[in-house]
Amino acid sequence: MSHSAHRCGTVSNLQNDYTMYARTSRYVNREGCGPKLRKILEIFLSENPVNFGSSHSGKSFAAGLDPEEYARSLDKAYAVACCFSKPSSVLNVLKRLKEADTGISIVVSGLIEEVQNMADEIGLTPHTALLSLGVHGRKELLPEESVLEITTMCGHGLVATHLVEEVAQKVRKGRLTAEEGAMALAQPCPCGIFNLDRCRELLAEQLERISKEGEE
Amino acid sequence: MRIDPEKCSSCARCPDYCPVTCIHEGNGSFVIDEAECVECGVCLRDAGCPTDAIYMPEESGRYPRSIRAAFSDPGVQYPEELFPDLKQGGRGTEEMKTNDVTGNFPRGEFGMTLEFGRPGVGTRLREVEKVTSLLTSMGVRFEDSNALYFLFEDPERGTLKPEIADEKVLSIIVEFALPEAQLESVVNALAQVLKTVDTVVSWGLVTRFEKDGSLPVKGRLEKLGLTVRPNAKINMGMGRPLIED
Repeated sequence: MSHSAHRCGTVSNLQNDYTMYARTSRYVNREGCGPKLRKILEIFLSENPVNFGSSHSGKSFAAGLDPEEYARSLDKAYAVACCFSKPSSVLNVLKRLKEADTGISIVVSGLIEEVQNMADEIGLTPHTALLSLGVHGRKELLPEESVLEITTMCGHGLVATHLVEEVAQKVRKGRLTAEEGAMALAQPCPCGIFNLDRCRELLAEQLERISKEGEE
Repeated sequence: MRIDPEKCSSCARCPDYCPVTCIHEGNGSFVIDEAECVECGVCLRDAGCPTDAIYMPEESGRYPRSIRAAFSDPGVQYPEELFPDLKQGGRGTEEMKTNDVTGNFPRGEFGMTLEFGRPGVGTRLREVEKVTSLLTSMGVRFEDSNALYFLFEDPERGTLKPEIADEKVLSIIVEFALPEAQLESVVNALAQVLKTVDTVVSWGLVTRFEKDGSLPVKGRLEKLGLTVRPNAKINMGMGRPLIED
């Protein structure tokens, strides 16, 4: 699936948005992959991810997924997804994955140039890219970009436009903090790629922009 | 999904959670418009209904309506009787994610993904057929491990089973490979037909990195009037044994 390929945003506000996906192939290396996926999860967790999980687990870390319980379930899984907000964390994870040499395919979703720079720094040769060519068709059905920047962090489309609008309004009215708002919005996304830090910052930026407009 | 009117307390919590905005206030309770509902299950799992009024009725699991949950709820596995030997959940395939060990997309070929209904709009399956029938006329063959393949009546003509045409899903991916030389003709044809679909489509292209790390296809796409986003999914080449052609 291409669930982390089409995240909306600008170069500026995607700087803190990286998802990593370890994926076995059923044709090559899925058989008995549990221990390797557990090793990869351990490496992911060592660099303070903002979220993790997978659809097979039914819920993400943000929704209460226990890391140890999740690790035990990986014998029946074929992939692990994780989300980071610091490029330095991604770099460190890649270094450790290179050392671990598990042989499992690793996909990083993020700014192309930044990911290529990381690969250069540690001597990796990126193999294949899935480029996003944007949204086509009846674009008038879409909400505004500031909403899409949040909803598209769940690639399955389970975070509703109205929920984002409702939470943003509560943040504006001071009934929720931006952090609480981000946590509320992360709940419907089971895969663990909804970036709580980026969501919190996007909500806080919206609040700041509205405050400034009010002053003017 | 359905709301039991006897149990609904009209707290108005659930409508905000619906990705396709199909929960409305009715006469004394909230009501799900079942023609529009994609059976994603978000209202049931996440809205926190205080009276447990939301439930999945038996009809939601009957074909052809069962297609909806299979393509809209990532927690639902494709039913074996409809998708024999698929053995996977999710809407797509391994595509580029394992390309370093499968070589699904070698140099000289591109992969293309057209995700109907994404982001957050949903689609009737008949919209998909507008594009698949065009593509087969251009010689395109669809990825046969993608769940969509099982919905074709005739994959050689890109026609879907007629009984599923009106079913609505949150998203569904058309996935295929094409020779590099066919890029311009396929993109130009798609650009025209995508103007006629009654939904949105997120468009993606799979390409190998050149040995110097460049992605020359970006220039070709921009000449065709397509904007390439600055962010992408990148297979880091860490799978083993590595396919390096």
